[in-house]
Amino acid sequence: MTNLSPELLEPRPSAGWRNLAPRWSPKLAVGSALILTITLFGLVGPLLVGDPDRIDNIGLTAPSGGHLLGTTQTGQDVLAQIAYATRGSLYIGVLVGVMATFLSALFGIVGAYIGGVVDEAFSLFSNVMLVIPGLPLVIVISAFVPPEQRGSWTIALVLAITGWAASARVLRAQTLSLRGRDYVLAARVAGERTWRVIGVEILPNLLPLLASQFVFAVIAAILSEAGLSFLGLGASSSSTLGTMLYYAQNGFALQRGAWWWFVPPGLIIALFGCGLALVNFSIDEIINPKLRDLRRRVGAVTRRATDPAPSPGDDAVLTLTGLSVTYQGERPVRAVREVSLTLRRGEILGLAGESGCGKTTLAYAVNRLYRPPAEVTAGSVTFRDRVDGDLDILALTPEELRAFRWSKLSMVFQGAMNALNPVLTIRRQLEDVLTTHRPAMSRKARRARCAELLALVGVDPRRLRSYPHELSGGMRQRVMIAMALLLEPQVVIMDEPTTALDVVVQRGILREIMRLRGELGFAVLFITHDLPLLLEVADRIAIMLDGQIVEYGSAEQVRDQPRHAYTRRLLDSFPSLTGERGAFVRSGGAP
Amino acid sequence: MRYYLRKLAFYLVALWAAVTLNFFIPRMMPGDPVDILMAKLQQRGSGVDPSARRAYELLLGTDSDEPLFRQYLSYLGNLVRGDFGISVSDFPTPVSTVIATSLPWTVALVGIATVLAVLFGITLGVFVGWRRGTWLDSLVPATTVLSAVPYFWLALILVAVLGSALGWFPLLGGYDVVLTPGWNADFLGSALYHGVLPALTIVVSSVGGWLLGTRNMMVSAMAEDYVLTARAKGLREGRVMIWYAARNAVLPSVAGFAISLGFVVAGSIVTEQVFAYPGIGSKLLQAVQNNDYALMQAIFLVITVAVLAANLAVDLLYGIIDPRTRTGG
Repeated sequence: MTNLSPELLEPRPSAGWRNLAPRWSPKLAVGSALILTITLFGLVGPLLVGDPDRIDNIGLTAPSGGHLLGTTQTGQDVLAQIAYATRGSLYIGVLVGVMATFLSALFGIVGAYIGGVVDEAFSLFSNVMLVIPGLPLVIVISAFVPPEQRGSWTIALVLAITGWAASARVLRAQTLSLRGRDYVLAARVAGERTWRVIGVEILPNLLPLLASQFVFAVIAAILSEAGLSFLGLGASSSSTLGTMLYYAQNGFALQRGAWWWFVPPGLIIALFGCGLALVNFSIDEIINPKLRDLRRRVGAVTRRATDPAPSPGDDAVLTLTGLSVTYQGERPVRAVREVSLTLRRGEILGLAGESGCGKTTLAYAVNRLYRPPAEVTAGSVTFRDRVDGDLDILALTPEELRAFRWSKLSMVFQGAMNALNPVLTIRRQLEDVLTTHRPAMSRKARRARCAELLALVGVDPRRLRSYPHELSGGMRQRVMIAMALLLEPQVVIMDEPTTALDVVVQRGILREIMRLRGELGFAVLFITHDLPLLLEVADRIAIMLDGQIVEYGSAEQVRDQPRHAYTRRLLDSFPSLTGERGAFVRSGGAP
Repeated sequence: MRYYLRKLAFYLVALWAAVTLNFFIPRMMPGDPVDILMAKLQQRGSGVDPSARRAYELLLGTDSDEPLFRQYLSYLGNLVRGDFGISVSDFPTPVSTVIATSLPWTVALVGIATVLAVLFGITLGVFVGWRRGTWLDSLVPATTVLSAVPYFWLALILVAVLGSALGWFPLLGGYDVVLTPGWNADFLGSALYHGVLPALTIVVSSVGGWLLGTRNMMVSAMAEDYVLTARAKGLREGRVMIWYAARNAVLPSVAGFAISLGFVVAGSIVTEQVFAYPGIGSKLLQAVQNNDYALMQAIFLVITVAVLAANLAVDLLYGIIDPRTRTGG
């Protein structure tokens, strides 16, 4: 697929740290505000309030001017207690966050980078630690440590030891994928030392993930510590939000309706956790740009800028007139500009151009498969149906469009690897076309039709039971072609149908396409960057450059009298492939 | 087949690790738990029963000269027989009986609540991801707040509002104490009624994680080529959403079940404490507060085994829903 939006590109180290800065968003603003406020309260609050432990004889008074948040059972000021408790909880949270992130980096990144037995061992260890339930283990360990030895550090250590495994697993997966990237391999081949490669090439790319894991570790630690203290197993002589809740519970705050005692501590934990989670959303969006907020534009529904032109000539089946597609955004990208093309019944129209020139975008515009932010801004697409006459594709209702797709115009996508659903069998993926478009068809007829089509493209019908990953690349592409022909469409759009395949398989599939076209008489819009290939198979050829058609004529014209300089450059850059080999491809089924 | 064998082998290793950890923790820690337990037994008027002492020593360590390895073997033997000694906090009930009476409560509570949370979370996540860019997006931060709330605090709030203030639900317990536990409608109805608030606590706290995870995977899956193919095929929206996008999007959520379950188990222990629920979490705390080390160790083991079993079951399910695991190895 043509990647026109730069933000979808993978972060490269050269793209630098700029990419790592979170994008400003309301979520990030609210999240940071919550975290900052609570952290400040924890840091500065204890300096401003009175002694949290001072006992008074005004037990359990509701909030008032003297005690803004009321008092506990023994008359201690709740606000003062909360200030100190917030500080205690934050302290443990950060302590555990640092230790757990360190442990997970050690076991996740280092193991995955070194690989082999070390990785196996580290990964097994992480997975075992992951499935052993953490809190019961913490409870058991804390119960054996006598209370007088149970300080904040002990608790933090135990929480870190029981809490690093999940993020080690995430980091390992990411490191494994980074390890195979070109720039890391290059650094390794260049003989850079392990620690340098990890530090310079891998770590910067993992930073957003590490930050996110740290955030999670802090939330989890504060929650676990609160739980532990609530059970009376926390650090002795420390004061955290959890111990406050423990005393509130034991002082029957709930039963006596002293909401001011047990609501605020929990609320602080919840708000802090919520703040961290909101910040984490922003970090997630750096890691995975797909998650960024989509602003659905009003009126994003395709509008017709020009009336559909009457199809020129009787033999036209698909006519594009002045079609423009724009990727809307801060800097709109005009991917397709005023393209006019005509596909005649039964012909092969080749569309050639380098990657990024807009040819895939054009192909998706034909049956409205583009998604926001892409938008058709002008032009029309007319389909002349054998039965129904002219159809204005851009004006179809969603249901009409759905029924139109595949039954009249089907597609073969580039990279059949990902075009098939990995978790459904080939049979189900073929049959659901029939169940949707031919509901009257019997089960037996459906099965027979699928088997027939597979046989037609040269795949053993027993493969119907297979899953996509069980087929070779060539076979998958043949299955895609079989699927495209299931409903005997009048037009098939083929987007780089053979690009990912090796040359021998490519030839076989091309011959198959030529033969099938001869037998079934569908027209093909054949999209590729491979001009010599088009010269062999196409009846007419269009050359695309920067979203515009710069050359449009019969294959012979394009080959012998190219008019545009770009076409001549393209032709010159390939060794001649005409003659004998062209006949080889054509021989399959040329009429 | 190889996938299943590997999973089975992994859980055996994990089980062995947990059992061994359980053996070494009390031996590495300061103090002499066996003597504490024996002293407690004597307080209760029980004579020094050598077999009870033996069971404690195997579980918690001994000062005799017996080689560690022999202790370890005998410890494993006792585990297999389910012999963990006598509970001192529930004197004179054997530890295994205490566990047998409390375990069903927790399994039912956590089991039902988790299944509900998973179903709700995944269904909502699929919809929110599918309808991205609409008002449904605001559900995401809202449920995140819920998952940042400590379980026990949410439990307290629920009790305060729905129990104390409105009086809709009982404040604590697992069933009406005037009833005798058994398979009759009165008792089961009462147990169900008492289980609503604890289960609600677990569901509300854990549903957000499932929602967010599924929603994010849904967004990723929707950008995959096979979803584009499905649209190009002219399939109906519902079919594309369920069989193409969601069917692939739930796989990582299922694979990540172990992490979520850890949180749920932790949360339910504390939740049981708030509701004085007669489950294994309350027993664990009772054991901790009374230095009933034998019961504590046994409960840790039982929880671990239950969690491992649940994870194994989910992994086996994963093998069924992702065909690639079956042949890929």
